[in-house]
Amino acid sequence: MKKKQINYSKARKKYLRNIKKDKCLVLLGQIIIFALFIGLWQLLADTGAIDPFFFSSPSRIVNTIIDLAEDGNLWIHIWTSLYETIIGFIIATVLGTFIAILLWWSEKLRRILEPYLIILNSLPKIALGPMIIFWVGSGTGATIVMCVLICVILTTISMLNAFISCDNDKILLMKSMHANKLQILFKLILPNSIPAFFSVLKINVGMSWVGTIIGEYLSSKAGLGYLINYGSQILKLDIVMASITLLCILATGMYLLVSPLEKRFKK
Amino acid sequence: MKKLLEFKDVSYFYQTKENEIKALDEVSFDVKEKEFTSLVGPSGCGKTTILSLTAGLLFPSSGEILIDGKPVEKNDSRIGYMFQRDHLFEWRTIWQNITLGLEVRKQKKDPQKLAFAEELLKKYDLYNFKNKKPRQLSGGMRQRVALIRTLVLQPSLLLLDEPFSALDFQTRLKVCDDVYDIIKSEQKTALLVTHDISEALSMSNKIVILSKRPAKVKENVNISFTGATPLSKREDKDFGKYFEMIWRNLV
Ligand SMILES: Nc1ncnc2c1ncn2[C@@H]1O[C@H](COP(=O)(O)OP(=O)(O)OP(=O)(O)O)[C@@H](O)[C@H]1O
Ligand SMILES: [Mg+2]
Repeated sequence: MKKKQINYSKARKKYLRNIKKDKCLVLLGQIIIFALFIGLWQLLADTGAIDPFFFSSPSRIVNTIIDLAEDGNLWIHIWTSLYETIIGFIIATVLGTFIAILLWWSEKLRRILEPYLIILNSLPKIALGPMIIFWVGSGTGATIVMCVLICVILTTISMLNAFISCDNDKILLMKSMHANKLQILFKLILPNSIPAFFSVLKINVGMSWVGTIIGEYLSSKAGLGYLINYGSQILKLDIVMASITLLCILATGMYLLVSPLEKRFKK
Repeated sequence: MKKLLEFKDVSYFYQTKENEIKALDEVSFDVKEKEFTSLVGPSGCGKTTILSLTAGLLFPSSGEILIDGKPVEKNDSRIGYMFQRDHLFEWRTIWQNITLGLEVRKQKKDPQKLAFAEELLKKYDLYNFKNKKPRQLSGGMRQRVALIRTLVLQPSLLLLDEPFSALDFQTRLKVCDDVYDIIKSEQKTALLVTHDISEALSMSNKIVILSKRPAKVKENVNISFTGATPLSKREDKDFGKYFEMIWRNLV
């Protein structure tokens, strides 16, 4: 769109100013909450109202992160978790969507597999942890498997629902133009499910981090989950809190990378 | 004039788990070439079923359906189907929407067909919107795009299933006129389903009145007005007379 020089009316100017003002207020509110939270925490810890040994404090967290970074190991932990999460996320999303396509394609298969999907969906995947370690050995592999297990069923079910909920008249329209099943899939069902796909992506960002951390709790020699576990075992809760802080930053960062994709497609 | 579509004693049953639903009971009627025929009947009587059978999306349980003297085939290419809602694909531009049928039939590279599609857009004032998305168009324009999407495939018989019912009254009269105009100037034969008697009267040469389910043909009414457009026909002195007759037949 071209930017034109327009003389806005008074009411329009006021409206635009109000929007800007609202935006500023919201941002301000967010900053205030953050500052209050951090400030209060630090204050309570400094005055001894809460025991920094158990509750840590912002300054102790920052110092711990710096220490860990100087140690050189921090980067390995971050990289390990990030790597496991991203690989798990990608495998689960691709595999889940692919299974959903197969199940959409064949109603028979869908009906045959339905009870198993329900069982797998209700099963707390963490219960499979010990088995996974026996099957693929401990370490990165096991974590990725855990990550995939947690995300893949949900992806399959959500995508399948999106595929099936496509307006039947639209399918009839395609049929009345002689579309075959493959054409219906690629020209109607898949593009029609793009919004659902994006919400699955967003959910999977969170779920794949859950998978990674659980996987690392169970067995690992590196990663933020490992660091959390390690910190709690040697009773250095600063390490635990520092890892959780890093986890927050990484997970939010990944979410922020995925969500603009959606806006690009909406255009 | 030649009969383009013939229904001969067509019955149709829907099969469901619980029971069998008889939708059509020995329905017979015909549609002549270049004419505009309407089907009216109580809701749920089997009008959409008749169109689906004509389009080869369903097949008769008994009886025979002939197009141009030959039985309907699965997904018959002589048929163009326009639905109640426009069903434009939001992720495609107007141009991509109207060439969807060509794409599906692998004719997207046929310069003649593309030129025809472009010509239709120009003729019906939509060329400027070629690269817009459907949501940027008004309801009436969308319906015109849906019609053009059907016409691009050059069907000999157009099936229209309550194509205006999603529009408000004002737009509806206007779009009705537009669509009538397009169908007449492209010299198409049309079979329209509607529950609006005035709409049927203002567009058709013939109205087929159906009974409630299972649908039977109650009456064939031939219509002749002096007016040329649906709007002007609504002002004809005989309009009220026809209206009353059909209304009596319906209830
Ligand atoms: N797929 C189906 N399975 C079972 N019954 C069906 C099916 N489709 C339609 N019917 C039944 O057949 C009858 C005729 O349906 P149809 O859709 O042809 O009616 P219609 O005249 O188009 O109705 P409306 O005015 O509501 O559009 C209805 O009573 C409906 O319940
Ligand atoms: Mg209907």
